[in-house]
Amino acid sequence: MEKHKAAIAHNGLMYGRVGSTMGEKQTVSYCTDLDKSVLITNFEKRGWQHVGPDDDWNFYWAGIHTCRNLFSVDSGYRMNENQMINHFPNHYELSRKDLLVKNIKRYRKELEREGNPLAEKGDTHGRYLYLDFIPVTFVLPADYNMFVEEYRKSPQSTWIMKPCGKSQGAGIFLINKLSKLKRWSRESKTPFNPSLVKESYVISRYIDNPLLIGGKKFDLRLYVLVTSFRPLKAYLFKLGFCRFCTVKYDTSIQELDNMFVHLTNVSVQKHGNLRLYLESTRGKTVTESLFTNISWLIVHSLKAVSYIMANDRHCFECYGYDIIIDNQLKPWLVEVNAAPSLTSTTVNDRILKYKLIDNILNIVLPPDGIPDIRWNKIPSPENLGNFELLLDEELAAQEEHVPKVDFVTAAPQSDPDTTSQDGGQIRSLAPHCLRRPLSNQIDNIELNNNEILKGFKPANYNI
Amino acid sequence: MGDLKDKSIHLTAEKLAEEIKGMKVYKDFYKDLQRLVSSPAVQSEDFKSTLLAAMKETGMETELRNTVFHWVRSHSLQPAHAYPLKEPLAYLRKSQMQWEKRIHKSLNSMCTEIGVSLSRFRLASDRDELSDKWNELSTYDIDLTSYRPVYAPKDFLEVLLWIRSPNYRPIDGEGTWDFTQIPLKVKTLAELRSFYLELSRGECLLGVNANMPSHGQYPTIELERTALGEKVLACRHAPVAQEFLKKGAPRSLRGRLWAQVMGSEVRAADKEYFNELKQMVLQYDLMVDKLIIKDVQLTASNDDQYFVFEDVLYQVLLCFSRDTEILSVYNHSCGSPIHGVLKSRPATLENTVVYPPSGVIPFHGFTMYATPFCYLYDDPVALYLTVRAFYLRYWFRLHEVSSHQQGILSLCLLFERLLQRHEPDLWIHLKLINIQPVRIVFKWLMRSFSGYLPPEQLLYLWDIVVAYDSLEITSLLAVAILSFRKHNLFQVDNMQGIEAVLADLSSIQVLSLLQMALMPE
Repeated sequence: MEKHKAAIAHNGLMYGRVGSTMGEKQTVSYCTDLDKSVLITNFEKRGWQHVGPDDDWNFYWAGIHTCRNLFSVDSGYRMNENQMINHFPNHYELSRKDLLVKNIKRYRKELEREGNPLAEKGDTHGRYLYLDFIPVTFVLPADYNMFVEEYRKSPQSTWIMKPCGKSQGAGIFLINKLSKLKRWSRESKTPFNPSLVKESYVISRYIDNPLLIGGKKFDLRLYVLVTSFRPLKAYLFKLGFCRFCTVKYDTSIQELDNMFVHLTNVSVQKHGNLRLYLESTRGKTVTESLFTNISWLIVHSLKAVSYIMANDRHCFECYGYDIIIDNQLKPWLVEVNAAPSLTSTTVNDRILKYKLIDNILNIVLPPDGIPDIRWNKIPSPENLGNFELLLDEELAAQEEHVPKVDFVTAAPQSDPDTTSQDGGQIRSLAPHCLRRPLSNQIDNIELNNNEILKGFKPANYNI
Repeated sequence: MGDLKDKSIHLTAEKLAEEIKGMKVYKDFYKDLQRLVSSPAVQSEDFKSTLLAAMKETGMETELRNTVFHWVRSHSLQPAHAYPLKEPLAYLRKSQMQWEKRIHKSLNSMCTEIGVSLSRFRLASDRDELSDKWNELSTYDIDLTSYRPVYAPKDFLEVLLWIRSPNYRPIDGEGTWDFTQIPLKVKTLAELRSFYLELSRGECLLGVNANMPSHGQYPTIELERTALGEKVLACRHAPVAQEFLKKGAPRSLRGRLWAQVMGSEVRAADKEYFNELKQMVLQYDLMVDKLIIKDVQLTASNDDQYFVFEDVLYQVLLCFSRDTEILSVYNHSCGSPIHGVLKSRPATLENTVVYPPSGVIPFHGFTMYATPFCYLYDDPVALYLTVRAFYLRYWFRLHEVSSHQQGILSLCLLFERLLQRHEPDLWIHLKLINIQPVRIVFKWLMRSFSGYLPPEQLLYLWDIVVAYDSLEITSLLAVAILSFRKHNLFQVDNMQGIEAVLADLSSIQVLSLLQMALMPE
């Protein structure tokens, strides 16, 4: 027994929480539906034991279908305290395109009703100043009339149709004439094609002024880890990347049918270089504000679903955010993926995804490395790896109630993790305590509620 | 003695005045000056002083000063009688000539092999295609399988390693392993320390830690440097910008600062000029075009950091080959361009042309001299001008045989002497496993690290190159990297192992390493 304790201490597991089976050193057993090497190598590196789905697992990296079955009422499966799984039961509130839009629209309305300054609208087009981060979108067929009304305002514009449930570009097409949409709706309702009738689509205004690099269009893929929705705990992976179209971007209408022009799934480049490129060619201020706006965009999208999500303590989830930047350096949220691809095409890609999984595991697991839902889900700063804290409402609330000096000095026995915020590096986002530490050295001045809006000056926002 | 000096200044001034008249900027400058003279700001009673004051006021004086600065930089101001020849050492002249002959021969034999001519009018169909695809030349699909690079860095290294000084009599077996047989003077570490004074003093540099608190009113050194840099740009004096670069450029200002130091800011005439070059590309079908396209494909297109810029690189490098202003490099290069005789004309002087018009035959990796600039300039013209300015000032020395202090030969020697003197263990280790140290780093030196360091770090390195107007820093960096990875190098005993240890330089912090190497113990 003594020897065992010593061994734990030796391994740096200072917090000595050894799971439910007292005394025995527990090995973690894992299960996965995905035969991906970045997952398996990470699990094996930790000395975890592979078991089947029907065995007694601690950690399940599951596909969304498995997850749905597991959480369904029919399955009757109940997880114990030492089990974790990589999806929230109703992640689709965020990852289904129609629900995401619905949730964001509702979130804006709520803020507006509260009289929250974040819901402020601009003078000219009646657009939200700070919450206008998804292209104008309607769900079809439900919102068809609303779409037509919007379409008539600017008949020259191009719209993009996406099936709600599919991802990675499947079933997407562009529309620049209302007649084309009518034809599509007629065809899809023919009895020969009954499967299509049920499926709903979203139609969004197409971003026709994307930022081009080397003449090429791209989108930005970022990874966001959420370990809890209430209170919201979210982390942003610093190693995102850009995916470039191999074909030159061309706005001419005859290209509309050439899908390759519009889908960005081909090549990969690190986004650290994106920053270098943008700062060099566009300047530092606008680049900083772009990256800050991206962080806000993510936080808002998560806040929009945080009250709907089933906040199961067994769950965490890593989302793939797809963002398009327009030539005014304004970010637009295109899609959130609840099961971002873990397939790697190149060596760098593989290294990146390996790190991603490793860093996720370091954050979601308690200090002793054994899944335990009783843990407070506050990882120590050195366990963040390449993630940076976007927002932890629990920490932010503590910060609010306890004066800073007392907090640091009077609570030496508290988990050292909670002091990770580094004093003044927190700033408020909204009156109801949305907070995040400053990630990108713009300024380390603490902003109070009145000053929030300064960082969000329209001038700053739209170049 | 004083007399002589006066005379030489007088001669220089005369030459300067004469050459300025031949410059492209002269016409507009002269026009502006005439306009200024007729303005009320200049009075005939006190012509000289009012004119000078007015020139200062309008910034024409700064323009003139910068022009003189760039002229002086591009002309080595040695007294005319010192070295009548561009390369004083006969044996180096000879090997450069032989090297050029080899390139020439290899180019010709490739032409014969494939059955193409060096140059011809472009067929109308080809011309239209090229013109249509000018902005997306990656889709200009031509068969290049039979084309191969004329030479690669390692071929050139072999040439360098075979150079023998006639004044040096080797003791048995000596002189086959390193460059000791070439007696060129290179700097010692102590001399480098005083040359790179700002680096050796350990002052805070932007590339070391941008978030370091600054002394003055700014919270970080990055903000301080940015604010200062804006002022530097506003004053438009090239030498001031050069001085500023010594402590590293902020990302957002680097492009403009470099252009200011190199005199490569875009003027209206440059846009026209670039367009003329494009027309030349469309008009003539040169064999080197294929070599250029092939090289972009082999290098930038395959590079995670640079593939996005493929299309603009084709444009810039094709235009580069047509630019006869690049021939000015032969004013101070010891090389000479390859000449060709026009088809079915007698081989007389007037029928002889330089091939290609720029005089530069691309080799494997030539593209990498241009790629890093893609991060700085969106506009192809701005990109082109700075790439050209860097080539004319620095890169041409990296692929010719010369005794110049910045030449590749001296850079290799500098690397070797520093390594031998300051990392003797490593030197001996390499000797024991019989690996020539220069073989490890030659590719880095020849490309000035382009493609080997991540873009951001490379730009910091080139800041230093521009700031001190010298490539010697690259030799020092090569030594510093070997020294930094020394313990891993001791673990391996063959070239493959060494290459594996040094394959990934993505974690190298250039300025920290350089500072570590330069700061006195």
